[in-house]
Amino acid sequence: MPETRALRLGIAGPVGTGKSSLIALLCRELGGTIELGVVTNDIYTDEDARMLRAAGVLDPDRIRAVETGACPHTAIRDDITANAIAIEDLESDYPATELVLIESGGDNLTATFSPALVDAQIFVLDVAGGGDVVRKGGPGIARADLLVVNKTDLAPHVGVDADRMRREGEQAREGRPVIALSRNDADSIAALTSWVRHLLARHRHGEHVATDPGPMAPHFHADGTVHAH
Amino acid sequence: MSGIAALLLADARLPAGGHTQSAGLEPALLGGLEPTDIPGFLRTRLATSARVDAATAVVTRAGAPVEQVLDAWAARTPSEVVRAAAVEAGRGYLRLARTLGMPTSLLPRDTPRPIALGSLARDLGLAAAEVARVAIYDDLQTACAAALKLAPMDPATPVGWLLACADPIDEAVADVAKLTEPQQIPATTAPLMELWQHAHSTATRRLFRA
Repeated sequence: MPETRALRLGIAGPVGTGKSSLIALLCRELGGTIELGVVTNDIYTDEDARMLRAAGVLDPDRIRAVETGACPHTAIRDDITANAIAIEDLESDYPATELVLIESGGDNLTATFSPALVDAQIFVLDVAGGGDVVRKGGPGIARADLLVVNKTDLAPHVGVDADRMRREGEQAREGRPVIALSRNDADSIAALTSWVRHLLARHRHGEHVATDPGPMAPHFHADGTVHAH
Repeated sequence: MSGIAALLLADARLPAGGHTQSAGLEPALLGGLEPTDIPGFLRTRLATSARVDAATAVVTRAGAPVEQVLDAWAARTPSEVVRAAAVEAGRGYLRLARTLGMPTSLLPRDTPRPIALGSLARDLGLAAAEVARVAIYDDLQTACAAALKLAPMDPATPVGWLLACADPIDEAVADVAKLTEPQQIPATTAPLMELWQHAHSTATRRLFRA
């Protein structure tokens, strides 16, 4: 892979933790200086792409939606074809693209991106999901390139200690970075954008190597079925 | 080569993005088709669009000029939405061919599924009947697999539906396998199915691309 190719950054994490908002935030903060593209993976409809287009943070044509046929894990993990084509099309239509953000279809704690699809990945949790989620672990929490503990401004309202959640995240990750993020906290936003810029610089210099957070464990779905996709 | 190649092309695990497709079943169910009518839906596809696509793949494999095959296929696939969905499905095959260094990768980016499949069959040395059978089987099995997500049932049930189509599939394979010219591709369309699929691009709640 040539180092001039755009950096592909995956955003994974459970439903409702703020993946789309995180992407909108990155578009808002970085769009002025970095050429961006976005690929969304909705489990059900292209709602996320619509939301991002409506947010007006990026040219709507640079936001592509992939429907995954109810297989959000497959689409980012084993058969990445639909996503790879969407990214390749974006890069072909906008050759100056420097950073492509790929949003996974939010599912549960076990889905992570294949390193064949993304160069790096952010795993997003939020305080409203409960302070114990970090301790439950999983490949994304433990080994994604970055763990974001989102919506820290809500912590007092949902009875969660955001600092403790961040600390436990750091313990679970054996030193890999954790950012406690709130869109009302400028310092946390600066930490996030700085992390992305640093990653992009490392990618450009050929210093970043994509790593696999690990295979998924068998998991439960709400309907009681168990499978490992 | 062709022995394993035909199986590979018919395998849902082939990494070509097949899991994003429902072969028109989701649009049909959203359009009002009852799950109990899915066996009839399969027979309809076999008699219409699946037959057109299988013939298109066969003629492509036979070496007919791709532009002429494309025109013949497009004339028999009037909805631009359905054609666009077929192009997306075709991209999966083209990407596979590119990674594996096959001549099919040189086809234009907007090559629809049946032509990409026919070309891949040519690269892999499949016989005409084999590619016809793969094209039809993949179409019907895609709908059967999607049925389990859209209207869950005992997963053995759709297997029975498919087996019930075995003889008509063999007849369709025999019919189209001997074709070599684009103008010989049958013009059997299913207007209601096309109408359902045509509406799918603007459906706000959907699991499958097409």
